[in-house]
Order: sequence, then C-alpha cells, then structure tokens
Amino acid sequence: MVQTRKLKDGSRQVILNSKQYDAITKVLSELATKTKASAILFADMSGQLISQRGNTDEMNTTVLSALAASDFAATSEMAKLVGEEAKFKLLFHEGEKRNVYLSNVGDDFFLVVVFDVSVTLGLIRIYTKKAIEDLLAALKEGKEEGGDREKMIDSDFSSLLGDALDDAFK
Amino acid sequence: MFINWALQEINLKIVYYGPGMSGKTTNLEYIHSKLDPSLKGELVSLKTKEDRTIFFDFMQIEVGRIKGKKPKFNLYTVPGQVYYASSRKVILNGVDGIVFVADSQPHRMEANIETLLDLEENLKQEGHSLENFPWVIQYNKRDLPGVEPVEVLQKRLNFFDVPSFEAVAVRGEGVFDTLKAVINLVVRHVQDQL
Repeated sequence: MVQTRKLKDGSRQVILNSKQYDAITKVLSELATKTKASAILFADMSGQLISQRGNTDEMNTTVLSALAASDFAATSEMAKLVGEEAKFKLLFHEGEKRNVYLSNVGDDFFLVVVFDVSVTLGLIRIYTKKAIEDLLAALKEGKEEGGDREKMIDSDFSSLLGDALDDAFK
Repeated sequence: MFINWALQEINLKIVYYGPGMSGKTTNLEYIHSKLDPSLKGELVSLKTKEDRTIFFDFMQIEVGRIKGKKPKFNLYTVPGQVYYASSRKVILNGVDGIVFVADSQPHRMEANIETLLDLEENLKQEGHSLENFPWVIQYNKRDLPGVEPVEVLQKRLNFFDVPSFEAVAVRGEGVFDTLKAVINLVVRHVQDQL
C-alpha cells in the first residue's frame, strides 16, 4: 500500500517506494505505447509530478502537473456548486491539434494523457480505464521498504539545506 | 509532502497567502529573477488582463542534492481578492508551509486580519491550524510613508508568535530571509513529525 500517513498535526504525507514507482512507470509506458499518446503524466493531487512517459522533452511537465491538479481542484468545487456530490471523475480539454484527458486515480492521484486529435477519444478512454486499475493495484501492492524514513531528513540534513539555501540566495 | 524513494525526491509545497495587492506575486517574481537558472523552473502566473492573480502563481525551486536527497520546493501564491475564496482553498491542498504576506499600510489592517481568519478557516479544512503549522509573516511595503509600526502589526497579526520579517518585496528586501525561514520551519516540522 502506498504510504499515505496522517501526521500528528493532521497533515498528509505520501511516500512512494521504488517498487511502486517502477510499477507505475511500467503502466505509463504501456499506456503510452497502446494509445500513441504524446505525453502521459502521473501526479499527486497537490500538484506534484510523480512519473511521466512519452514525448515530454518539449513540455514543462512540472507546471503541467501543477495546473492539472488545480484544474481538478477547481472542478471539484464546481461540482459542489452544481449539486454533484461526488467529484467529477474526468476532465477533457479539446484542442485543434491536441487533446488533454485527465482522470483521477483514487482520491490522491491523477493521470494526464496528452494526445493528438487523430487518436480517437474512445481508445484513450478504454486504455486509460485499464491503466487506472493497474495503477491502483500498483499503489496497493507495493511492499513497504525498510523504514529509513527517519534518516531521510535528520538534523544534518537541515543544516546542510540551510547552507545550500544561503548559497542559492546569495 | 510527497516523498519519492525511487528518485530520492522530497517535494514540499509552500503557499504565499495574504490580502489583495500585498505583494505575494512580487515575492515570487523577485525570487525568480535572482535565482540561478539551474535552480529554478518557469514562473507561471494565471492573471487577469488587469494583471491581478486570478488563480495562482507557481514556481519550483531546487537546491541540488543534499545527502543524496533532492529537495524540491513548489512555491504557490493565492489570489488575494475576497471573491476568489474558493481558489484560495483549493491551492492549499497538500500545503506544507505558509508565508503570510501582510500589507503594512494602516488602511489594509482589516484586510490583513480578514485574510488571516480566512486562512485559518481554510487550513482547518485541510486538517491544520495556524497554532501548530509551519508559517511565517512578512510585513511588506515597509518603504511606504505612514506604515504601521512593526509592534502594532505584531500585536494585531502575530498572535502565535511565528517568525516575522520586514520587507520591501519590489526591491527584494526581506524576500529571501522570509523564504529561508519558512523552508527551515517546514523541514524542522517534518523532522518532528517523523
């Protein structure tokens, strides 16, 4: 299970291990091959990009993830306003050359598929649906890794980060 | 916070909050203009044609690897105007730390207080409270004539005694000190929570 920990103060911390990351990346690769999508992103609802596949060199995928997460957040507020109790499950943006298909993966993650208008939406829908099932399974199954978590951020880390920030902010 | 073990990445989200025209976007613009290109991503601003933030500004900064880990800071601003309340709420999703940018001018005191209450209300929905959340206050526009003395601002706004900074964001004064302080608080907070 992906570790979504509730911290003492009530905030949420998501930790993804290597096994889960590899499994996720594999699902994205398959989806990219089957749909011939230009780009596929998997991200956290707070806007943080987790993994990407396809032709993303020319695309600022960090920003795309942040915008997509806000897109979700905004439309879920919209859903409330129009009396829809659940969140909207998918968002579709139609362009002249490219379309963007966004779908949530559980409550905490989402998938962005950017594809050429020559690819039919039906095809994207079918394969994305399958990919979402696989992603959910990958998030569920990944075994927990040895808890090096405490060591991830120690006091040494803080002071080195402080130095790095001083350097960067000169 | 999002930790990716495979890539050894730690992603943290910091949101600049405050009343309209208090200088949140200006903070980000200054940071973006001064940082080495290798450390920063694009600054994206969703603005109205009058140049007011309609949804948010976003920028990611990195400081390279530290003990093998790669911390990434995602900086966001919220739109300050009262009627963008729901936009502010959604941007707080998954927030790890907050910079409250207050306007030091006396006629903006009420707006500062109102926005701070709005922040507390929105944080509650995220399961947080200002009382024990990593946040700092920046008293901006200190160069303007007739601004409130810092003691008055402290008394009216800083009721949890969080770190506070005087700033003139258009000139960059206090901008990096503020950012560094909030990052430090967030990292310390994460340490405490583990």
